[in-house]
Parts: sequence; C-alpha cells; structure tokens
Amino acid sequence: MIECKNVSKIYPGDVPALENISFKINDKEFLSIIGSSGAGKSTLIKLLHAEEKPTSGEILFGGEDIVEYKKKQIFQHRREVGVVFQDFKLLPKKNVFENVAFAMEVSGRSEEEVAEDVPQVLEIIGLTELADKYPHEISGGEQQRVAIARALVNRPKVLIADEPTGNLDPESGWEILQSLLKINKYGTTVVLATHDREAVDKINGRVVVLKDGKIVSDEIKGKYDLKEDKVKKEEKEDRQRRTDSENQKKKSI
Amino acid sequence: MRLTFSRTLRAGFKNFYRNGWLSVATISIIAVTLFIINIQFAVVISENLLLNDIKDRVSISAYFKPDTTEQDVLKAKEEFAKYQEVGSVEYISKEQALEDFKRENADNEILQKSLEEIESNPFEPTLSIKAWEPKNYELIARLVNDSNYKEMINTVNYDKYSNVIDSLGTEIDSNQKTGLALGITLAVIAVLITFNSIRITMYAFRREIEIMRLVGASNNYIRMPFVWEGILYGLISAMVALPLSFIYLKFVAITESSGVILPFSSSIYIDQFLNQIFFKNILWIVPAELGVGILLGVISSIIAIGRYLKNPRH
Repeated sequence: MIECKNVSKIYPGDVPALENISFKINDKEFLSIIGSSGAGKSTLIKLLHAEEKPTSGEILFGGEDIVEYKKKQIFQHRREVGVVFQDFKLLPKKNVFENVAFAMEVSGRSEEEVAEDVPQVLEIIGLTELADKYPHEISGGEQQRVAIARALVNRPKVLIADEPTGNLDPESGWEILQSLLKINKYGTTVVLATHDREAVDKINGRVVVLKDGKIVSDEIKGKYDLKEDKVKKEEKEDRQRRTDSENQKKKSI
Repeated sequence: MRLTFSRTLRAGFKNFYRNGWLSVATISIIAVTLFIINIQFAVVISENLLLNDIKDRVSISAYFKPDTTEQDVLKAKEEFAKYQEVGSVEYISKEQALEDFKRENADNEILQKSLEEIESNPFEPTLSIKAWEPKNYELIARLVNDSNYKEMINTVNYDKYSNVIDSLGTEIDSNQKTGLALGITLAVIAVLITFNSIRITMYAFRREIEIMRLVGASNNYIRMPFVWEGILYGLISAMVALPLSFIYLKFVAITESSGVILPFSSSIYIDQFLNQIFFKNILWIVPAELGVGILLGVISSIIAIGRYLKNPRH
C-alpha cells in the first residue's frame, strides 16, 4: 500500500507544485490521477518514483518512508516501481527485446533470467512478433507497449504511467489503457496520470482530481467531474502552453 | 558483480568505438604526455650516470715532500679519512706512482728514456682523496692545507673539474625541476582533454544515462562504462608512448646533433641508460607506464561523470 501524508513540493523560487496532499493507494488498485498540466500530476509521479524529494510530508511504500531513503534504497525502489512516460524513452539502438532486457541487466539479473523473463513479458503485452524490431520500425502504440514491458519485466508491485497515451492516436491510446487494465488484473497496482477525460471515463475506476497542486476530488467509480466545456477549454490551454514551452525549448537549443 | 563487470566493460568498449576520431585524438594527447615524461626521465637518469662517472674520476691529490716517511703519510691518511666530507683516501707510494706513470706512458719513448736517465724516483708519495659530494673538494683542500701535516705536504692539487661537476649537478637539478613542471603541466592538459572527450561521450549517451537511472541503475553501474573508456584510453596511449620513447632514444637522441636536447650527455650515456637501466628494469617500467596512462584516463573519467551522479534525487 502507498500512502502520501501531507506532501508538499515547492520548487526553488517559491513555485508551489503540490500543497499538502494526502491520499492512499490500496494494493492492486487502479488509480487515475487527472488534472490539467501544471496541476501537479508529473510532480506527484516524480515523488512516487523518488526522482524528487518533497519539501515536506511522508511518502510511504509498504510502511517505509521513501523520503528517507539513501542512494542504494532509491535505486532498489526504482527497480520495484515500474514507470512509463509519454515519450516512451526507449533506446533507439537497441531492439525491442534488448530494450526490455536492459532493465533486467541494470538490476544485475543473470543472462538466464533475462532469457526466460523477457519473452514472457513480451508475450503478455503482445510484442513477441516485434522482438527483433528497432523502435523506429514500429508504431507509437507499439513503442509504448515496449516501455510497459520494460517497466513490468522486473515484476514491480506498482506501475506508474505518466500520460502514457499523450503522444498516441485515440485507438492506440485505448490499446495502451487496455494493457494497463490487464496488468492491473494480474495483480499490479497501477497509477495512471492523465488529462485524457475519455480514457478515464472508459476505465471507470477510482479518480483523483488535482488542481493547482491540491486534491479537489477523490471518488471511486467516479466520472471526470469537470464540466465538459471547461475541460475542453483547459485542454486547449494545455496544448497552447505545451507548444509554447516546446517553441521556447527549440529556441533555447 | 561479475555480471556488472562484463556488462559495463562491453558498454565501455562500445563508447570507445563509437567515438572514433575523438578516441584517437584523446589517445594521441595522452601518448604525447607520456612520451615527454619518458624522455625527461631518460635524460635525467642519463645525466646522473654521466655525473657519477665523472665524480669517480675526480679526486684531491696531496703530494708529500719526497723525504716524508711512509709511516707519516699513513698517519695523515688515517687523519684525513676521519673528515666528514671525505669519502675515501688512497695511498700511492713513490714506487707505485712511478710504476703507474711508466705504465700509462709506455708508448712514449722519450719519457721512458728520460726517466731512465734520471736514475732516481722523481715522484712524491701521494694521498688521493675523494669526497662524497663534489662541492666539498674546496673545503677538503683547505682542511688538508691547515692540518697538522701541512709541513710535510708539498702541494695540494684539487681537480679543476670539481667546478664542472658542480655546474653539472646544478644543471641536473634544474633539469629535474623543469621536467617535473613540464610533466605536471602536460598531465593536467591530458586530463582536461580526456575529461572533455568523456564529457562528449556522456552527452551522446545522456539518453541512455537517463533511462538507466529510470530503471534503477546504481551510480556505479552508470559510471563504470566511462571509467572503462578512460582505462582504455590510458592503456592504448601507454602502449604507443613506450615503444615510441624507446625508438626516439635509440635512433634519434643518440645522434651527435642531439646536444641541444640533451645538454652534457652524450650518446654513450643514453646507450648506457638503455642497456643498464631500461632493459634491466623493463619488468616494472612497462607496468608503471601502463599504470600512469590508466591513472590519467581514470581520473579524467571520474571527474567528468562526477557531476552527473552527485545526487540521485533533486
């Protein structure tokens, strides 16, 4: 079980990202976290994955506060918590099999284990036939499935997905969500962060809504509780913000 | 542990290979550094050989009056040997001096004949005194001249070479200092350039590094490929620099025109260095050279990657 207790994160320059967040995630639960960008979703994911440290509060995984973790425990924690990103983060010069195997090699698993576990995971995610392909040879949806397979191969108790459908067409996005549901059915806790209202509607599970760094609703079997036009407006703003920041990035490069 | 070793080693080789010309440039710089350090070492050691050789030939000669008894000369010998600055004292009797002279000038008939005509031994009993340090000859000469035996001594003749030895000593000293400064400067430059090469590799691999962190790779696991890369740079550089230094000393430095590069030393001493010191000690010179190369490579890598790994969490 995962529990966040009074978690706040304030970035340098007094930029608050999360303010006094508290919630629990039960074992084997499928939790969706929704909110527009800037609401604190990514920050929350980074805290759960121990990429960032909260300014205050506790984050408990099975009773242990990961905020207090030393280096070694952080590395161990990341092996036990699978994570999937919007931009897949695959290694372009490794094929599908090698990309998945990489996560096992890094954890110090033997060649025999790699040879046994990787095909199993590829089978579950439906990638067996693509094992020899390189990332540029397969579709975005397939690439995201490779990322999911990589996140699963170390048999994590928790899988965190940060906007996994953000770069995909609706159909591929739906396939990814189905993969996540399937994984959840096998007994892995799944935390899905997204602003994709339709997706969350289809999943129809527990939904935590974040707004301006605060939890504004937490309902089981809840629908995306914002008004449709408001959501659309937010999404539009969201896209605008994203292109702006991308343009800025391009300029700075 | 063994797995990490082989996996990171493989990754390190791949970095090295993928870098292509960058690897070649880095290796060249480390190799040049090692080459210059090697030549400096060889020059300093050759100069020391030369210095020892000359030191051996220099001494103070105290010529006693012809009527001094052997007993008195031996007493003087005992006395002089007690001086702190004195290394050894050798007694050369009148007869031995004559013999030595005859032998050394065996070819010179005029000298031989004139000696026969004199019919008496014109040589004086002599004490040949050697100092520990060439700079002490002057002092020893003064001490001998002021001793209780000064009445018996005809002349004290200390070699004019002692000045040459002094300046040679100073020369070697300053050579050692220049060599050290040059070596350190080059080593720093080599580290900086290797550091940069590794940084460029790391930039090319930043995505890999990010993903490694993501899936829970330890700092060590991320660091090792770059350390291997550095080791490889150093190792190959040493393997280039050592034969190059040898060829340079054996075929280039030994020629007459090298006087500018190697003041005071001549080909004999370089040759002596190669034969007596280099070949006899090759069993530790080779590992030492490889060690210095590896050290340069590894230090650069570790500095280069340090910042990336300072904190696993922001």
